Amino acid sequence: MILVCGIPSESPLRMVIARLEDMHADFVLLNQRESLNCDLWFEIDNGEIRGQLLISGHAYDLRDFASVYPRLMDDRLLPELAGEPADSPLRARCRAFHDTLLRWMEISPACVINRCAPMATNSSKPYQAQLITKFGFRVPETLITNDPDRVRAFRAEHRRVIYKSISAVRSIVKELEDKDEERLELIRWCPIQFQAYVEGVNLRVHTIGGEVFATAIESDATDYRYAGRDGGEPAGLRPVDISDGLADRCLRLTASLGLEFAGIDLKITPDGKVYCFEVNPSPAFSYYEGMTGQPISAAVVRRLAGAAAEQEDPLLALSC
Amino acid sequence: MWLVISSSSDPSGIWSWQGLRQMGLAPLEFITAESLASGCQWEHRLGSEGTSLKFSLPDGRVISSSAVRGVLNRLSAPSPLAFDRAVASDRDYAQAEMFAFYLSWLHSLPGTVINRPVPSGLSGPWLHPSEWMMRASRAGLRTSVYRQSSYDGAAATRPGIYLPADPRMMNNVIAFEGEVFGGMVPDSIAQACIRLLEESNTTMLGISLCTDDHGRWTFAGATPTPDLRCGGIPLLRHLAHSLVSGGHS
Repeated sequence: MILVCGIPSESPLRMVIARLEDMHADFVLLNQRESLNCDLWFEIDNGEIRGQLLISGHAYDLRDFASVYPRLMDDRLLPELAGEPADSPLRARCRAFHDTLLRWMEISPACVINRCAPMATNSSKPYQAQLITKFGFRVPETLITNDPDRVRAFRAEHRRVIYKSISAVRSIVKELEDKDEERLELIRWCPIQFQAYVEGVNLRVHTIGGEVFATAIESDATDYRYAGRDGGEPAGLRPVDISDGLADRCLRLTASLGLEFAGIDLKITPDGKVYCFEVNPSPAFSYYEGMTGQPISAAVVRRLAGAAAEQEDPLLALSC
Repeated sequence: MWLVISSSSDPSGIWSWQGLRQMGLAPLEFITAESLASGCQWEHRLGSEGTSLKFSLPDGRVISSSAVRGVLNRLSAPSPLAFDRAVASDRDYAQAEMFAFYLSWLHSLPGTVINRPVPSGLSGPWLHPSEWMMRASRAGLRTSVYRQSSYDGAAATRPGIYLPADPRMMNNVIAFEGEVFGGMVPDSIAQACIRLLEESNTTMLGISLCTDDHGRWTFAGATPTPDLRCGGIPLLRHLAHSLVSGGHS
């Protein structure tokens, strides 16, 4: 059986649910907005995990879930808790449910797309970059500093320099410009990440279950995700084929980080060099699928269903 | 150059720095979390050709990664001094940025690093009790039953981390590079502790074990920053040897 968790109207989850319904898959939806009607317990005894998930009074044995696709939002921000004081019993109950769910997913033998621990490499982009270089990808020349003079020298050396957050907190990638000069003194309070701008074509590569979907993004914006803002031209997306060698490197990188599903941000320079900016462990693939028709959600469902089939017939796993 | 990095209030950090210095490890710098967070000037570079780190401490010392041969790393988190000047609305962001930065520069240090940082902890894996229980069980240690539910209140104690009523029944050992230091444990338990260390993919792990009236040993918890003093001089000697020879990190 497959468990999908999140808000069903959220685009990636909506697409996965639609594909599961298309194939009449045996799945359970845990609607996060109804999590106050859910209960969960598990216990570990001698390394064996057992427990139960209750959704609106219906009980499911946790051992029956062979695969899980969680796309959970921060439970503190659920609309159902709006207006609740920080210390309200309802909030505490909701937090305890989500904590129990996350803890079970971390240790469950089920195929979880993805677990929190491997996703955490993305909590530090320069840390993740050091892991990425082991797979033959280039990473942009990067300076993290709280010294404005070093930033000036770095900009003089590379001419075009961008800055962005170090952590997983989302920031809009911006180019450092002359008008930022005055603000540079502020970095003395906290080291900031600067990178040499890399010319080329952006490529998003989704990897899932041994399948690879590459999408080229055409945009003049520094951060193509926000290209349509402020009157700019929206980014143009198209499916592209990549070499077997590059696809293999993307798959190996995904596996090495312990991820089942990844969105890898690459840039191909005019002279063919491949730069990797980051590996997104919770890719919002619906944007790419919606713009190109690439069947990424179907591949996610194949991976979920494949794990479920292996649970029912372990010989299937041996024949793979 | 070798580094001991710890909070200024960490007795193990101070003890091991003094002990390693007396053993002749030189030059050996003691760097506190507080000095890193107060007026330190940073330069951390990454690129396709490698990484580098250089920082200047408020007392004038300059540390360059090219001169570092080994590190005893006991930083559990950046000192709050690093972000407590941020306005309230930015404090969580500043804290996340600082943790991300520390994770990267600590990871980039060359030579032996005991322990290397991982995303769950700057000095090695900081895991939830449920994950330690699974790993301990896989390593062959006896574990009590762990149970968690959505009925647990925020302040509920976590069963599963077994604490005996009599503290004399608690034993703390340190698994480090294939050996166990500290308390006297049966060989089978020592081997299981080493397997837990390997399972945890780190260099050093403090492991707490309880004994009961029947002489059974039960896993009670683990930490990547144990009290090194319980390992005494034998541990310190092994630490010094590992830092000088390159160890396994």
